[in-house]
Amino acid sequence: MTKRTGVFVCHCGNNIAATVDVARVAKEMGEVEGVIFSKDYVYMCSDPGQSTMANAIKDNKLDSVVVSCCSPTLHEKTFRDVTEEGGELNPYRCEIANIREQCAWVHKEKPKATEKALKITRAAIKRVQNNQSLTPIGVPVTRRVMVIGGGVAGIQAALDLANAGLQVVLVEKNPTVGGHMIQLSETFPTLDCSQCILSPKMVEVSKNKNIKLLTQAEVQEVSGFVGNFKVKVRQKAIYVDPEKCKICDDCAKVCPTVVPNEYDLNLTPRRAIFIPYAQAIPATYTLDESACLGLNPVVCGKCADVCEADAINYDMRPKTIVEEVGAIVVATGFDLYGKENLGEYGMGKYADVLDGLQFERLCSASGPTGGHVLRPSDHKEPKNVVFIQCAGSRDPESHCAYCSKICCMYTAKHATLYKHHVPDGQAYVFYIDIRSGGKGYEEFVQRSMERDEVMYLRGRVSKVYENNGSMIVKGVDTISGKNVEIEADMVVLALAMQPSKGTADVAKTLKIGRDKDGFLAEAHPKLRPVESVTAGIFLAGAAQAPKDIPETVCQASAAASKVIQLLSKDELMHSPAIAKVRLSHCTGCEMCVQACPYGAISLSGPNAKASVNDVLCEGCGTCQAVCLRAAIDVKNITQMQVHDMINACLGV
Amino acid sequence: MIDVAAIKAHAKALLEKGTVRAVIGYRNSTAGLLAEPFVFTGPESVDDLIYGPSCVQNLALYLVNDKKERAHHKSDDARPVAVVAKGCDARAITVLLQEKHFLREAIHVIGVSCEGTGVVDTKKLARKLGGKHAVEIDFDGGEAFAVTTADGVQSLPAAEIMAERCLECRGAHPQLADIAFGEAKTDRALHTPFQAVKHKMKEEQDNRWSFWARQFDRCLRCYACRSVCPMCYCEECVVDSIQFAVLPDTTAEEKANRIKWIERSPNRSESAMYHMVRAIHLAGRCIDCAECERVCPVNIPLRLLNTRLEMEAFETFDYNPGSDMNAPTLTSSFKDTDPNSFIR
Repeated sequence: MTKRTGVFVCHCGNNIAATVDVARVAKEMGEVEGVIFSKDYVYMCSDPGQSTMANAIKDNKLDSVVVSCCSPTLHEKTFRDVTEEGGELNPYRCEIANIREQCAWVHKEKPKATEKALKITRAAIKRVQNNQSLTPIGVPVTRRVMVIGGGVAGIQAALDLANAGLQVVLVEKNPTVGGHMIQLSETFPTLDCSQCILSPKMVEVSKNKNIKLLTQAEVQEVSGFVGNFKVKVRQKAIYVDPEKCKICDDCAKVCPTVVPNEYDLNLTPRRAIFIPYAQAIPATYTLDESACLGLNPVVCGKCADVCEADAINYDMRPKTIVEEVGAIVVATGFDLYGKENLGEYGMGKYADVLDGLQFERLCSASGPTGGHVLRPSDHKEPKNVVFIQCAGSRDPESHCAYCSKICCMYTAKHATLYKHHVPDGQAYVFYIDIRSGGKGYEEFVQRSMERDEVMYLRGRVSKVYENNGSMIVKGVDTISGKNVEIEADMVVLALAMQPSKGTADVAKTLKIGRDKDGFLAEAHPKLRPVESVTAGIFLAGAAQAPKDIPETVCQASAAASKVIQLLSKDELMHSPAIAKVRLSHCTGCEMCVQACPYGAISLSGPNAKASVNDVLCEGCGTCQAVCLRAAIDVKNITQMQVHDMINACLGV
Repeated sequence: MIDVAAIKAHAKALLEKGTVRAVIGYRNSTAGLLAEPFVFTGPESVDDLIYGPSCVQNLALYLVNDKKERAHHKSDDARPVAVVAKGCDARAITVLLQEKHFLREAIHVIGVSCEGTGVVDTKKLARKLGGKHAVEIDFDGGEAFAVTTADGVQSLPAAEIMAERCLECRGAHPQLADIAFGEAKTDRALHTPFQAVKHKMKEEQDNRWSFWARQFDRCLRCYACRSVCPMCYCEECVVDSIQFAVLPDTTAEEKANRIKWIERSPNRSESAMYHMVRAIHLAGRCIDCAECERVCPVNIPLRLLNTRLEMEAFETFDYNPGSDMNAPTLTSSFKDTDPNSFIR
């Protein structure tokens, strides 16, 4: 129990002072037992505020400090640093009483808010008076990084990290890196070829000695903690030796099984043994075991027979690889909103209703039609094409509530590309608003309207149906206030973006949060946009929120720089405010072991009692809450302290 | 019908061979109708072993006591102890095993069926007999008890005189047993589970509070409920400041900083706190043996309080205490199907 406590009450300009009588708080706290110094100041976090605090600690020989101010997530570090450097006192002798977010901002009546601020501060005083001096725990760091997802975000992050001299393990679920970007035809607003700008980066990935690429691989299990993760990765067998494969296509020619090609969004067929596309990295054929007749020379074995390089081996088995890394970048990307949800637009019913990615393939020179926009149903050139924006987005009642952000731009791009391919055709776009914030974006949309005469209709489409062999798009133009019916040869839906299918599992495996829409949650929406809530795990790309290529690349590089910063030290400091077992009270019931989200507790010793791994423990207190016997405490927030805080609040 | 002679023979054989240290079971008591728990240590003592509707006590408690006693006497006899267990007793043992209170191999469970009728509620029986004194009670087929009074033997419908908890029982036949005796009748469906608590919940909140306020006012804080509960095995009860464990490694600071969550005086506020903390500490652990309610000298309906949380565990988290010794406990586990999906 400390005897010389100092209290510093911050006005935070008017943020606190408008609702809380800060002078009264400072005065009354000065009368609390053990408090020998109490003062209010307009901005405690300012330089003069900090010096006031440092001097007061030294001059009055304070042994514990309470700062009544904003949330500890913001300035706890500032004031603990002042305590340590200026006040020459152990930083863990400083506690924050949050009278802003938890008091001033949520109340209106000054007398009541002041009462509450008094209670919060009094409780913090009681707590800090029983705080122990603690020393952070140093933990060595593994200077390797895992990047999960090999789309443009993952590629960019991996390259930045590798070029900074870090070892990178790039894990990709599909047979090749490239993600959705490699499927695109051209990119807005400059209309440069997507493949041409991405493939050099893909080649760089394959050539960079610091990058270990694991394709057809998925993360299964993650243990450890920031600086020292252990990741178990399962890699499927591809049945082809990439070193030997010459990419001669002999095997695919003889393969008898035909399945839809995912790379072309099922618009073309492929064989069971295939290469997704010519520039695939790693450059090798791969055998899709779910399509193959049985990986058995007795059943088929034609590919192995014709392979001169002897690259095909049916005896390959899936591998489990364990990688030790210091940080993880999650770039698991997006998928389009399920078309089965949009029956009213005829998706899946009519062959000529396409999604945005399918239309990209139709425009692409490497696509199913060799770069000619042709209807999938009869291979005729469509003369009237209707583009429907917000298909599944901005519809909280039946679909996704959020804006998918990139659809306005890519629809303008699609309409422009269509006009380039079919100069005598007419493009219609149904939209709610046009959101074209970005460098050169607004001009691009204007150009599509003016130069390419794209007809923009503000309104929603109610129905797409067939009438006498042609498709009718029924909608409303809210500007003229009239119902519109357009006979369309092709309909393209700008489907909403949603987190890729495995995102939920990845989030669970990595113990990182997701937001209400299922995207990966950042630690702070403004100030920590590329960090997950779990230390050492960073986010990049559309897995975090819908975003376009430039933003994705920005975020990937930002995540990489955060990782570089993290791994630039030899040792990481771990908070010492961790759980401690009272062995005399522990019965070894294992409840804390099961409850610990970090796997930090295990049973050990002759009577199998709980024991805490200091570096795994994050001090969250879950163990403390489940223990029926009060046998586990978190340092500096012990049950005794909680009890005293409750008493202080109740005025006992 | 359950063959008591076979149970006896099994217990005797265990003790004769010396495979177990002792057999915890029931024998006739010298006072009243109810059986009394007894620790049989010699083969000949087993002749006194009985089993019937008068065997209401939860014998899991005696396993807990046995552990304490062995620790106290530093006993090094590593042989297991056998215990006679009804469905509810077996569930209690399962919870204790789940909490690693003892090893599975340290216990030999002699499972006994309640024959689809359960055990007797002596208060109900007294009311039913209207002043006559019952001297013996036995199972009588699936739906009745054979009650012996001075007038001779009569068959009474079990549903009218059986314990409340047996009416709502969801697992009358022991699931955890090394050997089981009697018929496995589990789907009796006499009352729907949690019927009593659901009925109570229909009342207005104010009425419920005044009901409980009255109950807590009467509490003597004799702690009989805690003493009889097999789950209340903590060395030190967090709410009872008079029995803090002082051990060789208890520091002076710890002694000085004892937390008094509850004052000792039995008044409404402190007693309410005591009972509610106990109920919360039993959430997902109480297997509804209702011993706390039975032993309460002032008849506080504690079962209502505890089953309220069991209902929550069952209906919200699909959790059934005592059903699987290898499952994680309710409060320490998390499932994707748990409600409040905003925590993802």
